[in-house]
Amino acid sequence: MLERLMNLLNSDVGPDLLRALKIVFLAVLAVASFGILYAPTVKPGKVTSYGLLRILFAGALFAVLVYQATWQIWGYTNPDFVKFMRRYNRRPDAAEKQVMRGPLLDRRGMVLAAPVVGDVWGRRYPLGAAAAHPLGYYHSTYGITAVERVCDPTLSGYAIDKRDEALGKMLFTQRAAEGEAVTLTLDQRLQQKAYELLAGRKGAVVVMRPRSGALLALVSSPGFDPLNPAEAIRDEENTPAFNRAVQGRYPPGSTFKILLAALAIEKGLPQVYACPGQGYVAGPGTPPIRDSEYYAYQRKGAVWPGWGRIGLKDATVHSSNVYFAQLGVASGTKAFNDMMTKARIREPLTYLRASGGELKSARGHVPEVTKARSTALLAIGQGELLTTPLHVACFTAAVAADGRMMRPRLCQAEPIEEMSRLCNVKTAEQLRAILREAVSRGTGKGVDLPGLNVCGKTGTAQAPGGEDHAWFTCFAPQRKPNIVVTVLVERGGFGAKAALPVARALLQEADRLGYVRIAEEATP
Amino acid sequence: MSRKKKKTLGPIGTATGLFLLSAFAVACACLAILGVKLSNAPVLQVEPLIPLAVYAVGVPLILLWLKLSGWKGDAGLVGAVFLLCGIGLVIQFRMGSFSQGLAKPAAMLPLPLGLAAFMVGTLLTGKGRGAWLAKAGWMAYLAALGVLGAMLLLGRSFRGGTYLAGNLNPSEIVKPLLVLFLASYLSRHQKAFSETQKGIPVPPLRVLWGLVALWAIPMLMTIALKDLGLMALLNAVLIVMLFAIARSTGYLAIGLAAVAAAGFGVQLISANARTRFDVWLNPFADPTGKGWQILQALAAMYSGGLWGAGLGAGVPQSVPIVTSDFVYAAVAEEIGLVGCALLLMVYATLFSRGLRAAGATKTPFERLLCVGLTASLATQTILNVAGVTKALPMTGITLPLISHGGSSLITTLLIAGMLTGLSDRK
Repeated sequence: MLERLMNLLNSDVGPDLLRALKIVFLAVLAVASFGILYAPTVKPGKVTSYGLLRILFAGALFAVLVYQATWQIWGYTNPDFVKFMRRYNRRPDAAEKQVMRGPLLDRRGMVLAAPVVGDVWGRRYPLGAAAAHPLGYYHSTYGITAVERVCDPTLSGYAIDKRDEALGKMLFTQRAAEGEAVTLTLDQRLQQKAYELLAGRKGAVVVMRPRSGALLALVSSPGFDPLNPAEAIRDEENTPAFNRAVQGRYPPGSTFKILLAALAIEKGLPQVYACPGQGYVAGPGTPPIRDSEYYAYQRKGAVWPGWGRIGLKDATVHSSNVYFAQLGVASGTKAFNDMMTKARIREPLTYLRASGGELKSARGHVPEVTKARSTALLAIGQGELLTTPLHVACFTAAVAADGRMMRPRLCQAEPIEEMSRLCNVKTAEQLRAILREAVSRGTGKGVDLPGLNVCGKTGTAQAPGGEDHAWFTCFAPQRKPNIVVTVLVERGGFGAKAALPVARALLQEADRLGYVRIAEEATP
Repeated sequence: MSRKKKKTLGPIGTATGLFLLSAFAVACACLAILGVKLSNAPVLQVEPLIPLAVYAVGVPLILLWLKLSGWKGDAGLVGAVFLLCGIGLVIQFRMGSFSQGLAKPAAMLPLPLGLAAFMVGTLLTGKGRGAWLAKAGWMAYLAALGVLGAMLLLGRSFRGGTYLAGNLNPSEIVKPLLVLFLASYLSRHQKAFSETQKGIPVPPLRVLWGLVALWAIPMLMTIALKDLGLMALLNAVLIVMLFAIARSTGYLAIGLAAVAAAGFGVQLISANARTRFDVWLNPFADPTGKGWQILQALAAMYSGGLWGAGLGAGVPQSVPIVTSDFVYAAVAEEIGLVGCALLLMVYATLFSRGLRAAGATKTPFERLLCVGLTASLATQTILNVAGVTKALPMTGITLPLISHGGSSLITTLLIAGMLTGLSDRK
């Protein structure tokens, strides 16, 4: 008899029988509970019926129940909790252990990270060190970082997409669906190329679409092996685990002059200044600000005569510090501060918003100026000024996108958002023409690829304790730009020498892949 | 016509109907559990089923006895008590607490003793007899001190708690004893404690110091016993009773502030409390050590989800000491968030009915007794459930009627019996 029952329970109907019992139990429990709730009660007392206390007790229990739901139903949104359950949940059929983690794909569907069959913690990264920073790692000991971390609910199949039936599936069965794939905006070929071009030097590259904010490449060098992050985490000298593109903070040098130029055009500031060879002194006690030519002449034993009276275009082409220092002072504190706010320098930039949280860059740093003369040094991208490569790429992209500063984004599914309006369309147009000349006959000459109409700005940022940081930030083509490339080489020396060749090769590659001359696919 | 019929159902009829529903639910749960057990091995042990049989026979007998004695109290209260009691039995049965059968009387006896205690409680307070208990206030106080003293002298430490021989934990009985004392003391000084100025209670210093001095002795003893959960519970009950007698929210406000300050102070002094506090703030700091139990409990809940794994179908054994303090995690895993919501609703109804019954009593003493006993159950439930879900730090308190533990079940049923008696106004 008992054995026949056992066979029945182990047959196909067994689970259905038990499920039916479970449903009947819950139903009867519900009827009994509501019966108790609505059962006739004693007549209320004349003195009091303690309404406040009754509400207090019931309210406390209700609050606990709501808090309980944050674990029982929405526990999957807590990466620490999911990690704990993956490792220590003893339930043999626990969903979080069975789900095959979804892959990470690039914009063309090429694999950036893929699961390994039969190994919960296994992961395959075809790009290896080249994409280790944006993707992060997924390691049983060192945890989960970057995209792997914030996309974890989706990749693990825990994300509830309210628009489809997954919600119902999840609530009724508590069995997670398959882990989903996440498609990123990166192009695996550009990512790889940029990493190779940095050739192990410390530095970063950001390649993005100006009007959609889509990041085509986000590279930090030196890289590390995402399957074995231990060494990288411990290496405190080269800090390879550190994502320089979004976390590294550097003085922006002359690339910052783009913002000052935008300010000058937008506000209609006087645009002609005398630029004497001896430099410009903003106020008593401040050291003179000089052009680099001053030192070049000095080394040759000659005296730099200065640029004379020049306008904005020539000043940008020559990257004249003397000019921009004066322009900064002329702009005034309020306009300068406003510009810093519009360019979002002080804020962390969110570059990925996903089911498990956000990825943000570091904040830039720029003091709130109160005296006009303190803008002189800041205007040339020095002084108490720090930006991440992503910040520089974003304000470059804003000029390319007619003044609209788009939020950078790493995931194809993220909506395109405008962060702020840097300047108006006319200003952006004029500025692009100026930046075009900075390439065609100025410091950025080396990147003037035929037919691409590249516009850009070099930067050589002095930093204490060593060589200068080399910057180059550019976009192309001039009329309707489709791509932005920002390169930083730590201690690279002169911007045109170290950073520019990287940008040049990347632009060539991007053009070959059809990113420069063919219009951007999605525009708001 | 049908409405008239409903009216003639009477409290006992309603209570019986509710019990039948509860028994039906318990039976379904039992079948599900047996089904899971049978699908693993074709063995049916009869002895572990004895407590369920005691429940099925004992509760109707109690209802019959109530009917014969002309009881006309709150049916919802009685229904809630026996539903929770049944769910507790079924969970303990599922967790294997009765698996040793009659060979382990410590597991089998609490239910019949508890049902007897329920009747004793009803007898003590029913039909207005409760007023007489006011004379026993001092005796109750001394008895409570005696129990605490005995535990200090004879108890031995086990898993952070103190137990007498045979793993008996008589500190449970301290709760109704001290409530009885407080009800008698406070009702005698009702006027004094009701004095307020601009909402701030200002009882005369002589009466206040008297209470402080009398209260300090058991409090110091609980500290010596390192039973911070009991201390927290007793103080919460004191605050609620002060509020109930003065009906001034000032006491609640002062009380809440005092509780927060005391909680913070205690974790500064006691290393044990400090650990619990740290685990509460960040269980992931030491997931395999101090955070293990609470994280396993939360993982159990998560695997239960909205509808639960089904009774007998979960794996709540992975939570350490799941049958006593952490039983709520097992419940949540197997009957889901929906089941938990129903269960908490039943608890809330029980407390609500207890307080309504208090409002309807005739004498201030009975009113205070009723409020105090309800508050003791309510605080215990809230502290336990909040602890297991990590809403508050763990206090090491059992879940009334559901946790495994003889003295807890017997005391809770005694309190429930007293409430049942108090709800009956002659």
